[in-house]
Amino acid sequence: MYRVTSNLTNDDMQYFARRREFMMNQVQNRMSSQTRIQNLRDDPLAAAHSTRYQSYLTRLTRYADNIQYTQDNYHVAESYMKQAVDMLQRVREIGVQGANGTYTKSDMQKMAGEVNELLGEFVKVANGRNGDGATLFSGQETQGEPFRAVYGNVAGAPGQVITGVEYTGDIGKRQTEIADGSYIDMNFPGNEVFWAENQHIFATRDATSYQVPENSSFFIDGVQINVSAGDNIQAVISKINDSAAAVKARLDPVQNSLVLETTSPHQLWIQAGSGSPVLQDLGVVSTVDNTPPANAAPTADVFGGSLFDMIVRLRDDLYAGKQVDVGGRALRGIDSGLDNLLSSLGSLGAKDARLQVTYKRNQTEIPQITELNSQAVDVDMTKAITDLKMLEYTHKAALSTSARILQPTLLDFLR
Amino acid sequence: MQSTFSGIEIGKRSLIAHNVGLTTVGHNLSNAATEGYSRQRVEMKAFDPIYRPQLNRAETAGQIGQGVDVARIERIRDGILEGRIVSQANGEGYWESRDKYLRMVEQVYNEPADTSVRHLMDQFWNSWQELSMYPEQMASRQAVLQHGKALIDGIHNQYNSLDRIRQMLDEDIRGTVKQVNDQISDIAKLNEEIVKSKAAGDSPNDLLDQRDLLVEHLSKIINITVDKRDPDEFSVYTSGLHIIQGKIARPFTTVPDTANEGYSKVAWKYSGEDALFRGGKLAALQQMRDVDVRGEIQNLDNMAVNFTDLVNDIHRSAYGLDGKTNTNFFVEHPAVLNAQGNYDRNGDGAFDSTYLFRVTGANQLQAKAQIGLEGTLTFPGQSDRVRVNYYPTDTVGDLVARINNSSAEVAARLDRNGHLVLKGTPAAQKERPDFVLRYMEDSGQLLGGYAGILRGPGPENAFTWGQPDASAILRPDAQYALAPLSHPSAWIGINEDIQHEPASIAASFKDPGETEGDPGDGSAAIEIAGLRNRPVMVGQTATFDDYFADTVANIGLKGQESELALKTQQTIMKDLRDTRQSISGVNIDEEIAQMIKYQHGYNAAARFVTNINQMLDTIINRMGV
Repeated sequence: MYRVTSNLTNDDMQYFARRREFMMNQVQNRMSSQTRIQNLRDDPLAAAHSTRYQSYLTRLTRYADNIQYTQDNYHVAESYMKQAVDMLQRVREIGVQGANGTYTKSDMQKMAGEVNELLGEFVKVANGRNGDGATLFSGQETQGEPFRAVYGNVAGAPGQVITGVEYTGDIGKRQTEIADGSYIDMNFPGNEVFWAENQHIFATRDATSYQVPENSSFFIDGVQINVSAGDNIQAVISKINDSAAAVKARLDPVQNSLVLETTSPHQLWIQAGSGSPVLQDLGVVSTVDNTPPANAAPTADVFGGSLFDMIVRLRDDLYAGKQVDVGGRALRGIDSGLDNLLSSLGSLGAKDARLQVTYKRNQTEIPQITELNSQAVDVDMTKAITDLKMLEYTHKAALSTSARILQPTLLDFLR
Repeated sequence: MQSTFSGIEIGKRSLIAHNVGLTTVGHNLSNAATEGYSRQRVEMKAFDPIYRPQLNRAETAGQIGQGVDVARIERIRDGILEGRIVSQANGEGYWESRDKYLRMVEQVYNEPADTSVRHLMDQFWNSWQELSMYPEQMASRQAVLQHGKALIDGIHNQYNSLDRIRQMLDEDIRGTVKQVNDQISDIAKLNEEIVKSKAAGDSPNDLLDQRDLLVEHLSKIINITVDKRDPDEFSVYTSGLHIIQGKIARPFTTVPDTANEGYSKVAWKYSGEDALFRGGKLAALQQMRDVDVRGEIQNLDNMAVNFTDLVNDIHRSAYGLDGKTNTNFFVEHPAVLNAQGNYDRNGDGAFDSTYLFRVTGANQLQAKAQIGLEGTLTFPGQSDRVRVNYYPTDTVGDLVARINNSSAEVAARLDRNGHLVLKGTPAAQKERPDFVLRYMEDSGQLLGGYAGILRGPGPENAFTWGQPDASAILRPDAQYALAPLSHPSAWIGINEDIQHEPASIAASFKDPGETEGDPGDGSAAIEIAGLRNRPVMVGQTATFDDYFADTVANIGLKGQESELALKTQQTIMKDLRDTRQSISGVNIDEEIAQMIKYQHGYNAAARFVTNINQMLDTIINRMGV
């Protein structure tokens, strides 16, 4: 038999009462704050999971924002490009009309006038800006306008008209993150979208005895190409062809000089890198001015124009009344430009489709992760309430029992 | 023939004895609620009877009892149970303190809520994403700056909270040592009194109770064993060394420890040696201060140092809206002031070590290229050197992973230009500084010609921190960064230049052939934002997500463990204490019953004396008059 002292009963009652109070306090806190985890020790692993979920949710919301912004950009760009297509179609109609040979010279001049107006509008479309005021088709030079019109005199035209359009943007890609580690382009460099023909640069310097003096590099369309000391022209050509740039190099059989051609319609973008000036020595790039795009050597021949060049050509032919040329090379130029523009629209559509898919996945992931987080940290109200009820009941029972036991002593019964 | 008055003598003895009994009952009742009181019982024995076999005895039938005498007043106490309680109580003391402080540390983290450092960091990454989409705007730069400031404030806050806890622990240790010293001297004084009292033949019950109580309190604070074999010398030991030997007390003292940032260490006062405790509150406080909270601060420092290093690495190569480049986004002071990293560690006025945090190799490497070299790298480990082997078929990426997974206190990675970077990590032993590269040696050509850090193989070209100007032994084209002098998480801040001119926040990279970045280029911002997912941390935690989840899980598990252990210890102690209560506690009803017993005895004795009185009265006053 165990001897029980007065203190023992008291102490035991206090001990259990304190424990119950602690548990009731915990349950109450959980119910008020809606989370099961008041302190990290309540469920350390669930708390750790929850931190990951929360961070992931923040990222997903960010990606959703990024996707929306990019899609808005795409839609604006698409509308501009569609306007351009419409205008180009109209120019083509005029071209076809002008080529049929039944019009007089003054009629053709009036048609040229309409083409001229459309050209002006075209330049404005190519300089289009998105909702934030940044230009869409200028690569990374978003401050100025990418296309600058140059004015001059043309035979048959009244006053000064646009004789050429220069590209003053660059080829930089702006990217944004749409999922963990996954990036997508946000912009479209104008010298790819609004280009009509493959560009060729024919150097005129004989390169058969050329040797690269030291390890150097240069950039074509942003792709770095390294050449080592002692490479001859064939090695240089094969390195250019093996690189990721959309450019083909070959040796011209007549002049033994380097020829660079693009394989899809865009402007050739050549920059010098470190080491010796290989392209300058080969007569491709000018030794004076190295900033693309107007850095071709004065001795080199550059062929292949932009869409603007094609329209200018058509208009000039109409002004001059050269009906054969209108139907020939001018229309061909317009056609290839239209092709390129439509293919740009197509690739934009493809990117938009990719964004749609990513967005959909993102939007299904968000509620899933939210649910996982909720399972980890949210309190189950039913269980909490029943726990609280149970504790209350036990508390009352214990208190009333203690009250009965603690009170009477022998003293109460002695006279 | 017995004496005439022997009856009165017997009655008197009985009255006195029963009085003592009643007094003792009264004493018990008064002290029923006193802590550490053990009930006392009067042990009565019959007084020596007459006649003993001696020559001067009366010739009558003996032995005639002579009444009652109080033999002893003893306290009811189980010595073995006491011993068990004393040896067990340090467990409860240890876990109680540990639990209390772990709760405080848990609350510092503010997880999994919205106000934690993790959330501020998420917002910081988001602001870089925003900047990458609108790189030409000042508004997005302002957002980056503000979120950066908020994050830095959050990190400072967390550091300060942890540091405050550490200081509280230090104060607690000093206060506890004082408490221990007081208790020790009290016990020693009591020992003296008790020995004197026992020598006089008494049972100093209340003094013994007091001593037992003090010993029990002491046993919660440090782990002690009690030796009562010698009745004149009550000894208390801790880990085999005397704390109290009879009336001699051996107190402790606290000494500031320069190897531990000036926090106090506990030493024996007279011998000066370090005092080591294996249990109890003091051991818990020391461990929390020097292992647990220090570890948390080291983790935070490690995260802060690596985070700022990575962001700065990208930011320096990028261009701002105003064309500036090579600006750090985060700065940290104070670092070692000498440009070669020389530092005076022992404070004697002469440089004696070199504090380098990071060394970057001169040569560009490819992560997937096979190194084609063989050898062994030697790095400092937790207690001695660690060797990492490399083979010709390893790729550079494999080697970096192997260095990180070894137990070397060095972290490796390839930076964005492909250079090999070696960084110092937090040191396990508190005498060594954190984030300092202590040793680098290579038996082959990897760190030498291949990566471009050392000048060659072998110990003569090895880098050792324990001498000044050690940075001269590196290759001249290798770059190094100086180590932070005190906790980085307390001192990192945003570069003043950026705070004054947010246009310097760099978002773009330079196109080849140009002199500055384009305003519409946000590629640097995207790369910085991409840091959040890349495995950029060191050791076991890979990404920042891992770091935060890991810290939370760690501290939560420690807290869970301590709560459970505390409950267990408390249950054990409750059991033991309940048993002691059962043996030594006062039961009021029992005492009252005793009181009735003594009362009756007293009444009977009084009655007896009255009767004897009447008898004597008859003899003296009525006989023969």
